[in-house]
Amino acid sequence: MSPQIRDEGADEDAARVEAEIADLEARLQSAKERKERLSRSSPSAASNSSNSNNNDNDTLARSPSPPTSSHHFLLLLSDSALPLGSFAFSSGLESYLAHQRSSVRKTGQQSRPSFTADFLPLSLSSYASTTLPFVLAAHRDPTAVADLDDQLDAAVICTVGRRASIAQGRALLGIWDRSFVSSSAAPSSSPASSASSTTAAAAEVLKPFSALLRSAGSSSSPSSSASSASATATATATGSDPQLPPPVSAHLGPLFGAVCALLGLTLPQTAYVFLLSHVKALVSAAVRASLFGPYQAQRVLASPETQALITAFVAREWVTPPEDAGQSVPVMDLWIGRHEMLYSRIFNS
Amino acid sequence: MLATGALTHSNCIVGQSDIWTMISPFPKSASAAGEGHIVVRLLPHDVSALESITYQYPLKLISPTVKATQQSVVVFLLSYGGGLVGGDQVNLRIDIQSLARLSIVTQGHTKIFKPAIPGTITRQKLSVDIQDGAALCLLPDPVQPFEGSLYEQGQAFHLNGSASLCLLDWVTHGRAARGENWDLLKWTGRNEIWLKNQGTGLKDRLLVRDTVLLDGTPKSAHTMPLREAMHGHAIFGTLILRGPLTNSLGEFFRTEFSALPRIGARDFRTTEERQKSAERSALERWRATRIQQESQDGVLWSAANVRSCMVIKFGAATVEAGRNWIGSMLAQEASLERNFGEDALLCVR
Repeated sequence: MSPQIRDEGADEDAARVEAEIADLEARLQSAKERKERLSRSSPSAASNSSNSNNNDNDTLARSPSPPTSSHHFLLLLSDSALPLGSFAFSSGLESYLAHQRSSVRKTGQQSRPSFTADFLPLSLSSYASTTLPFVLAAHRDPTAVADLDDQLDAAVICTVGRRASIAQGRALLGIWDRSFVSSSAAPSSSPASSASSTTAAAAEVLKPFSALLRSAGSSSSPSSSASSASATATATATGSDPQLPPPVSAHLGPLFGAVCALLGLTLPQTAYVFLLSHVKALVSAAVRASLFGPYQAQRVLASPETQALITAFVAREWVTPPEDAGQSVPVMDLWIGRHEMLYSRIFNS
Repeated sequence: MLATGALTHSNCIVGQSDIWTMISPFPKSASAAGEGHIVVRLLPHDVSALESITYQYPLKLISPTVKATQQSVVVFLLSYGGGLVGGDQVNLRIDIQSLARLSIVTQGHTKIFKPAIPGTITRQKLSVDIQDGAALCLLPDPVQPFEGSLYEQGQAFHLNGSASLCLLDWVTHGRAARGENWDLLKWTGRNEIWLKNQGTGLKDRLLVRDTVLLDGTPKSAHTMPLREAMHGHAIFGTLILRGPLTNSLGEFFRTEFSALPRIGARDFRTTEERQKSAERSALERWRATRIQQESQDGVLWSAANVRSCMVIKFGAATVEAGRNWIGSMLAQEASLERNFGEDALLCVR
């Protein structure tokens, strides 16, 4: 994608993504309402609507417009109970708070750290500019996930951020391998179902990636800067070629894009859920760091400002090729990189 | 001088005045602005020397005459009038042949002016090829983007397995005397380190792609101005190290980073105890002074090993503080001066 084409299409794309996001939000809303109704409805109500629908999610078939399996997976992937271990990471929030406190102590200024006015927009901007282009690219072509993963690994320049991204990426790959593939490919009773046949083919897409990851797994430890540093030192000392980085590391971004594509989520859905999950993780970390309570947390999540932020950043990165991704908030790298220097820590990043 | 336009300037330092005319890939009629090419090779007696050096307006390259004792060839990278105006393009290629060493410095900040025609991007491209055992030390003055400037810088370094690279890329907040504080429109800085594949058929491997994207264009109400996103930093820099000649420096940064005081820790020692522990080795005394200075100057930094490259990020509250910090780190460790000569560090003292 050449820069020129991007320039010309930017306005059009921005308008399109606005429309798509509005549509997505409406659909998310309706899906949530349906979910709500489902949870309230009694078992007897469920039994009398036993119309056979050609959808592999029969349990959801009671709604007036039958939802597709992608709706189901949209809800699963946006669930904060998705076991990625996101709760262990604060994406620099903990470090940010410590740095703000120490600068307040030094300068005596009473500039209280602000989550909603300062850290949240900065963190989201940074996450979108560094990672979202990789999510979008992997969604557009899930077979390219290994190459995208390698490119992202070269672009993540801080140890702490890399550790967080890889831990969650591997967890997602595990969920895909162990849970999503088998459960969605299983209902072979409906051979006409396009969803299950797509998933059967989709199951193959990430297999080479998993194989690469396993082959690389034992030979290197990308999460440990100390060991790779000494490995490099010995490699160069013996005069041989320095050790190459592992072929894949399993970062969260590209895998999330690929998994969403394989489960039938649309590109705007994927982008929105990816950024929303980041906001949810930050807000959850803020609650546990005692910045505010759970009601304030829901207010932040529900606020039009948060929605507008996500929409704006999805629009900003919609046509950014992964080669052009980069850090839009340089100080974020410092906060995340210096997380290791905190005296006491409750998070891993 | 300005009126000479696209005339090709050239000079030859080696003393064999016909060499460059034979090797120069640029015919005298070349109209592409700002093209330049430097070739460095090793003469007998281990002296690095220029094999050829060519350049065109607005680029200007100057090299002091060769000394038998010099550790590396020093080339001044200049531009007419000390800055680049809107739409200027500089495209410099550097080839460093086996075992040769080159140092690139500048004379004062590279000023980036606001373009006369809105939307015109000023570009600098640097493409470097470093052969086995060869080395480049690129320690320029910081780039100073003025209010309203649009700038893109792309630097790609292709290294053989035992090539060495020390690269500093830093950007300031503009003309502080005129009240500028990150008032640029756009600033993009991309640094790519590639490990050349000397086997056949295989692609070069991307080791690091570090991109900083500063966007000062007027935003929607939801995102904050660039000035606020920079969190009080007047300068932001990245130092990237790779290869045998920079190993000790990389190790030094890693050790110093680990030795930083923990953020949020309290010092419960008595004044007496502190004074006692202050009587330490020269390195420890230097470290204590530096850490105090860092805290005074608002210097934040981090160091990480990224796929066999050491990446150091730093920011400081004033431009001079940033320069002093990196200068004192490099001077204390001293291997750059040993390996490249004191002129290589002209811009960081």
